[in-house]
Amino acid sequence: MKAGKGSLELEKEVLNEGLCTSCGACVEICPYIKVVKDRVAVIEPCGLAEGKCYDFCPRTPTDIAALDRRIFGQERPDSSLGSYISIEMAQARDNKIRSRAQYGGVVSALMTYAMDLGEIGAAVLTRPFDGGLMPTSVVAEESSQVLGCATSNYIASATLAGMNKVIKQRRDAIGVVGLPCQILALRKMQVSEHENGAMGVKLVIGLFCTWALSYKEFYRFLRGRLDLSLIKRLDIPPPPANILVVDTETGTMEFPLEDMRGFIKPTCGICFDMTSEFADISVGMVEGMDDWNTLMIRTPEAERLIEKARQDGIIETRPLDEARLTHLREASLQKKRRAIDDLVKRTGDERNLLYLLLSEEERRKFL
Amino acid sequence: MSILAIDQPGRSVLMMGNEAIARGALEAGVDFSTAYPGTPSSEIIESLARVAEHFGFYAEWSTNEMVALEAAAAASLSGLRAIVAMKQNGVNVCSDFLLTVNLTGTKGGLVFVVGDDPSAISSSNEQDSRNFARFADLPLLEPATFQEAKDMTRWAFELSERVGLPCMIRSVTRLSHSRGNVKLAEIPQRSRSARFEGSYIAGVFVPIKHAELHQKLEQAREEFEGSEFNWYVGREGARFVIVTSGSGWLYSREAVAALGLDGEVGILKIGTTWPLPESFIVDHLRQATELLIVEEVDPFLEQNIKILLAEQAKTLGPIEVYGARSGHLPAFGDINQDKVARALADIRGLEYRARDEQYAQRASELALTLPPRMPTFCPGCPHRASLWAIKAALKLDGRDGFVAGDIGCYSLGVGPAGFWQLKTLHCMGAGIGLANGFGKLGQFAFDQPVVAVCGDSTFFHAAIPGLINARFNNSNVLMVVLDNGGTAMTGFQPHPGSGTDALGRPAPVVEIEEICKAIGVEVRVRDPFEVDRAIEDLYDMLQDGGVKVMVFRRKCFLIESREKAKPKVFVDPEKCIGDECGCARFCSRVFNCPGIIWDQDAEKAKIDEVVCTGCGVCATLCPQGAIVVEEG
Repeated sequence: MKAGKGSLELEKEVLNEGLCTSCGACVEICPYIKVVKDRVAVIEPCGLAEGKCYDFCPRTPTDIAALDRRIFGQERPDSSLGSYISIEMAQARDNKIRSRAQYGGVVSALMTYAMDLGEIGAAVLTRPFDGGLMPTSVVAEESSQVLGCATSNYIASATLAGMNKVIKQRRDAIGVVGLPCQILALRKMQVSEHENGAMGVKLVIGLFCTWALSYKEFYRFLRGRLDLSLIKRLDIPPPPANILVVDTETGTMEFPLEDMRGFIKPTCGICFDMTSEFADISVGMVEGMDDWNTLMIRTPEAERLIEKARQDGIIETRPLDEARLTHLREASLQKKRRAIDDLVKRTGDERNLLYLLLSEEERRKFL
Repeated sequence: MSILAIDQPGRSVLMMGNEAIARGALEAGVDFSTAYPGTPSSEIIESLARVAEHFGFYAEWSTNEMVALEAAAAASLSGLRAIVAMKQNGVNVCSDFLLTVNLTGTKGGLVFVVGDDPSAISSSNEQDSRNFARFADLPLLEPATFQEAKDMTRWAFELSERVGLPCMIRSVTRLSHSRGNVKLAEIPQRSRSARFEGSYIAGVFVPIKHAELHQKLEQAREEFEGSEFNWYVGREGARFVIVTSGSGWLYSREAVAALGLDGEVGILKIGTTWPLPESFIVDHLRQATELLIVEEVDPFLEQNIKILLAEQAKTLGPIEVYGARSGHLPAFGDINQDKVARALADIRGLEYRARDEQYAQRASELALTLPPRMPTFCPGCPHRASLWAIKAALKLDGRDGFVAGDIGCYSLGVGPAGFWQLKTLHCMGAGIGLANGFGKLGQFAFDQPVVAVCGDSTFFHAAIPGLINARFNNSNVLMVVLDNGGTAMTGFQPHPGSGTDALGRPAPVVEIEEICKAIGVEVRVRDPFEVDRAIEDLYDMLQDGGVKVMVFRRKCFLIESREKAKPKVFVDPEKCIGDECGCARFCSRVFNCPGIIWDQDAEKAKIDEVVCTGCGVCATLCPQGAIVVEEG
């Protein structure tokens, strides 16, 4: 896929429209586009008619069916969850990992394991609360660094900017953990005709995501209410709690989730993907079970790794019950429908879904 | 040893105009010299500072022109001879003191030298500082030659002591910065000692003092009547007379010669232009029916002559006056022999052709073959990276923020060198002053962030009150101090933050960040060559509002590179993939350091080893990591 557009169009169609996910795919590939916190900007027009930046962006036109075929070799068998081999519940066997991690610790356990096995030489991760509210992209060169990146962020950071830096320098296999928008961009890089190092990414773990908060708004909200340098962990417990829990060195604070709604990045409203449909492995929470993760295995390579991890006692799995699976499917479909509604609202044209290139037939499946 | 110290009376020495002024001060036995650097005046105190220790007098770079004049006046009030030098804008800065010290008067000779910059070759404005002499009722001298620059300065000390007023000398760029022969006189042994006696109080009996001031000025006028700096050449009793001062004298002589008018036209050259030597002038105009006034910038001489002609109308009869008011010469920009000759030819109905007819056409054709060269920062200049970081932070911020500029090398940021970032540019300290106001427009739905830039020397000179005001009135301003360690634009003179004094001796360091802390504002100090960090910090500082100061500290690379071995910087041709990169030649086209060129044959970037200073910032910006820095 080659878009034939460049930074000018990226700025016009994505950045100026508030659609940037701040995934970082367009950053660190040229000197013109920079990211600070979750703000991405074209500092100066590069003057080129065509650019990788536009090509890689998860909010520039993306043919979902074509990408399904390129990544999974097939049309999506499940319109709401994409391609997958299996869906289970899983948790890390190591208590230390589980106690540090948000839920079952599966992501940390698998990344650590893949590095220990030598399947990957480094992992691009996101470290929360690195001296402030904003998470930062980090490259773990040793498995012991992985656990430092456990727990959820709720603020999208430019993880792929960190990845772009690494893939310029490294020739070995690397792993990436990211949000659905980041995984989509990463896959667009891998199938792009523009030369880039993303083919070196051999293990892609995607996280479930419903939305992310805009740093600036969230920062301004919390700034007056607590000492940001003391934050240890953020959590949004499953419904019906409807709260955001902030754990700090000095105690726990709760804020009504309603207060956060205004801080959600506008681009999350047009996001089509809750479960990181283009990852090798997708991981999320399990409703009502704090110590467990939902684990979706999407590719045969991932399946082999997980099977080995299971045998080596790294993770433990259980079947996911039908009710939860149905609920997951429903939630995912709900996100897709909302995204399509929002996109139609933006364009005022039933057929124009901006970045989302879907055939009528595909679209009907979601509605 | 400096040529200033040559102790051979009678010897002719090639000197810059500013050196001649400094030598004049030496020959007057100057005790105390001060200045704030500013083109075209800087070399006066620079030259004096070089010989200050040898001759045992005092020299300082002051934090601004106001302090410079006040310090010099203190020496004068204590009976010493003092000189203060500044560029035209400096007179504006010190005018408040100037318009009170005229009332109190002075004691030891106090010579006030202003270097005007016609055409604003190195200035943010064009002004004719002679108006200040009339404004403040102070005697004014205008040297026309290098010899006069020296001799007038020496004499100005004596005049100042006789009339008890500061004496002003007006030079211009073409005199200050060109060179000519100067015949030396003796440098006297100094034996003055300082003692303050009496009182010098401007605020009481002001009308009486003002009347006394006019009497003193009248005394100066009487001295001017017989001054050796005023003369007449050409035909006695000429009907057409050029009246000129300063640089106009030599241009007028050349123009008259070029047109073969020596036998007809007289030239009345006035060196003492305020107050005018009225009798001397009237005596030389008795037969005149037409005058051409030749001077640089304002019609200062022209207006004063016209007043004189009106007053003497009965004696002199009607005289036609040509000059700026008649449109024969400009009242702006510098003048030259050609402009004077054209004016003269026009008035006299003569043919004048300085060049052959096709000259202009051939010149413009030739100009097309020259590569375009925009003014730019030196290779290795930290301002390039600083302004890139500011641009990036404002772009990332996304609220259409802008930069209020100030005076220094970084003023080039109005153009492509600084990525067109500076949107206002006025005078020293105006950046933070304006930003103060912009930062208080919130109640009028103004939401653009404002960055004020200023240099380190400008910070000390004029920016501190603005910063305090911003704090006091709770404005929203991000001030960026571009600290390159000295007063770079005028030749890297030291300032309070530099750690050396005018004589190169160690001096206490006044820390910019400590001042900011004392004012109570958040301050960060960063290296602009750590570009990404600089951008992130600026961005963060823009988010919270309030008054914040970022000090971008990195030494001017012209100085740095003299002090240490230059690292070797080169492009790894394996890593630079040229137009395949997608960087669109960022280093040579956008960042545009003169040390980086585009190799047309290889189609890759290349470091020009001769120009490159080895700063290495380009290596941090190249997306391919293709630029290699090898420490020497």
